[in-house]
Amino acid sequence: MSEAPVIRIARRIEAPAERVFDAWLDPAMIGRFMFGTHLRDEQVASLTNEARVGGRFSYKVIRGGALIDHTGTYREIERPRRLVFTWGVGEEQGDLSVVTIEIAAKGEACELTLTHRLHPDWADYAERTQAGWTKIVGDLAAAVE
Amino acid sequence: MLAVAALDATMLALADPTRRAILSRLTTGEARVTEIAAPFAMSLNAVSKHIRMLERADLVSRRRAGREHYLSLNPRPLDAAADWIEQQRTFWNHRLDALERALAEDQD
Repeated sequence: MSEAPVIRIARRIEAPAERVFDAWLDPAMIGRFMFGTHLRDEQVASLTNEARVGGRFSYKVIRGGALIDHTGTYREIERPRRLVFTWGVGEEQGDLSVVTIEIAAKGEACELTLTHRLHPDWADYAERTQAGWTKIVGDLAAAVE
Repeated sequence: MLAVAALDATMLALADPTRRAILSRLTTGEARVTEIAAPFAMSLNAVSKHIRMLERADLVSRRRAGREHYLSLNPRPLDAAADWIEQQRTFWNHRLDALERALAEDQD
């Protein structure tokens, strides 16, 4: 396999690629689909981003009395088809995991693929194996239960 | 270790067929280092390097009894990795559901 994501989710969205892409960089939209009381038991403290390659984002929520910051850096911004950013939660370093969002226009709709993988170096190792990572981890974890 | 850093160490340790074979062997129970090494067409020293990497990732524990070294599997990092993957999958699936709803509301 050319790459071995830890997590890959693909789905069709009934909205144009540009609108779907822009949602990921618009703090107002982030407050609607990523964070907020309507999604889980949390309150948004602040949602800020600098939407340029190398720019950072910080999405702060209060959950169970604790302030939790979701941070990262934009690596690639290619409207409307590709967005890559690092992602970390709380004390984690944001550059330890990477989220890639690919959007393929399908007329008035689009297909979105979200991939969340660990440290980029990790993909090099993953290329050497034929088995899916989720399966390896799942099988081993199941084997010892 | 932070959750993601620990997971990174787990994944690196798993990123090799020899190390995965060692772990699979240990799922059946404790084994001596020499037993572990026997099926592999490589030197004991080479197998030992793989074992040390598994120990650093906290996937394998070593017990000494006289001159023998016994290895056993520690499943906690595997469970942590499986949990992390499941949590992330759930998180992103929910967020994509919410994205679809928000976009649909704007269209109405």
